[in-house]
Amino acid sequence: MKIYACTEGRSGQVDAVSLEMIAAARSLARDGDDVIAFFAGSAAADAAGKFGTADRLVAAIAPEADIVVAGTYARQLCDVIAAEGAGIVVVPYSANGLDVASSVAARLDWPLVSYVEKIARDGQSLSVVAQLYGGKVLADCSVPLPAVLMVNPGAFAEATATPLSPDRIDTIDIAELVAASRVRPISIDLPDFSDVDLKAAERIVCVGRGIGDEASIDLARDLAALLGAEIAGSRPVVDNGWLPKLRQVGKSGQKVKPKLYMALGVSGAPEHLEGMGQSDMIIAVNTDPKAPIFNVAHYGATCDLFELMSSLSERLQPSDT
Amino acid sequence: MNILVILRMVPDAAGELLLTGDGLGIDREWLDFQLNDFDDHALEDAILLKEATGAKVTVIAIGEGTNRILQMAAARGADEVIALPCEEDELLSSRDLAATVVDLARARSADLVVCGVQSSEDLFGQLAPYVGAMLDWPHISGTNRIEASGGGLHVTQERGAGVSVTYEVVLPAVLGVQTATKAPRYVSGSKLREASKTPIGRGERQASSFTLSASIEGLRIPEETGSAQQLGEDAENVAERIVAILESNGIGRR
Ligand SMILES: Cc1cc2nc3c(=O)[nH]c(=O)nc-3n(C[C@H](O)[C@H](O)[C@H](O)COP(=O)(O)OP(=O)(O)OC[C@H]3O[C@@H](n4cnc5c(N)ncnc54)[C@H](O)[C@@H]3O)c2cc1C
Repeated sequence: MKIYACTEGRSGQVDAVSLEMIAAARSLARDGDDVIAFFAGSAAADAAGKFGTADRLVAAIAPEADIVVAGTYARQLCDVIAAEGAGIVVVPYSANGLDVASSVAARLDWPLVSYVEKIARDGQSLSVVAQLYGGKVLADCSVPLPAVLMVNPGAFAEATATPLSPDRIDTIDIAELVAASRVRPISIDLPDFSDVDLKAAERIVCVGRGIGDEASIDLARDLAALLGAEIAGSRPVVDNGWLPKLRQVGKSGQKVKPKLYMALGVSGAPEHLEGMGQSDMIIAVNTDPKAPIFNVAHYGATCDLFELMSSLSERLQPSDT
Repeated sequence: MNILVILRMVPDAAGELLLTGDGLGIDREWLDFQLNDFDDHALEDAILLKEATGAKVTVIAIGEGTNRILQMAAARGADEVIALPCEEDELLSSRDLAATVVDLARARSADLVVCGVQSSEDLFGQLAPYVGAMLDWPHISGTNRIEASGGGLHVTQERGAGVSVTYEVVLPAVLGVQTATKAPRYVSGSKLREASKTPIGRGERQASSFTLSASIEGLRIPEETGSAQQLGEDAENVAERIVAILESNGIGRR
């Protein structure tokens, strides 16, 4: 059986989540199966050393296309599968993957399970554990093959980035397909980290929606200053305009790994955990004892975050002496 | 431009969720239903496009409590509102809903279908890419800015780590909205009262067009890993313990 791992990257770089997808695909392979990494972009050759333990790489290349839009990616992948056959396709839960997974499932009329955390292969079907309701419920699913799985980042450890020899790389020219697309990238905005680079911060105080309003962010800023920490926010805080986008931690924000991560009024949705779950020390403050943030935190407190900020700031004030 | 907006009412998962006796669903009896957050943003983007281009906005809603939400959509500027039938206790699967949306998009000659990027019940896939692939229209999810440009759209998508990409999109198209171009507007009580007179149309559901699907064997509430060492609920006490923990780890005050 052929098992496809969807990989992603730009400018000769392969995103870490690609190696996780290869590991997921590899975990499902039996003797005689082929794990095939699929890549669409402009510079897979530069990145060929990074496709981990895949048996082969199918690189769909359009020299000018640093970003290949999801519709084109999905279409080309379906063409490859139609030509070669496949039993399983694993797609990362990413901006691109969100579009690719359902698109491939619809085009091939295959089952799809999203937000997958665990997969076990069982003859001609899969047993899959996936998240529902933002991770508050787990679903045990039975999935007939062939099937598409959209896998949560972090569910599988990255495969080792071993180089692939050139004879195991198939290149397809998709320049025409890219040109025919009715979606065309016209600009890419890259972050300017000169103001703040959360990835480099050793200490972070992150506020979630529990902070309530914009004015209260100042209290958290004062606490962060006392700790020598950067202030950060969850998505709703940034969406509300209370903090700039570069200070968002999570799936569509920054992935951080500070020595200290203090989460105040953050519930711990999977998309948030994706950005901070690897922090050395996580202290979470949330009035809801069932908040999922406590599952990754090292220390947790169920007190009111405002009372905590005030008590903590008082204790951290520099003494006069 | 004809815009179709899809709104889904989903259980408010903020509180405690209990499972049904057969373990195949969540007990909805005492749950509040609310508009899927991302769909609220999709509605806002549709209304902003209407204001910019004079588009017609048709809003389709499904789930418990749709009448209230459709009246709210009318108060915000929707031209036509339609409710879809829904089984009690139904998990709103985008995979099933897609055929109905495709049918409506064709019947109403839509140029643009907008919905939220995902819903908390999207276990079997997301609505925008299903509908896009089934109609063979371009689709983009995770949008945070949509603007009319010439006969098409300029759409910005978040790609993570602060990177965003703006695309030129030829219509017809399907968009999965993450964040609206501007925050969803507030509607006054008087507008809502006025909109309560808006007639609500009734739509029909189509059977899913997919032959094979995954199935739920059972649901469970994840075990708390209990990894967190609990510091308690008294703020004074917690603060004192945090200071001690930070100091013993060499990360005290600066
Ligand atoms: C494609 C995609 C990408 C996403 N990317 C990101 C991302 O990058 N980053 C991100 O954060 N989210 C992201 N999200 C959103 C994510 O799913 C959640 O909606 C979000 O993380 C919730 O933020 P929150 O925890 O601040 O808010 P909520 O979930 O509303 O939680 C607020 C918490 O505050 C607690 N609280 C309230 N008052 C107090 C008080 N006085 N004291 C103590 N605690 C209190 C409550 O108990 C609650 O747990 C993304 C979603 C999608 C679909």
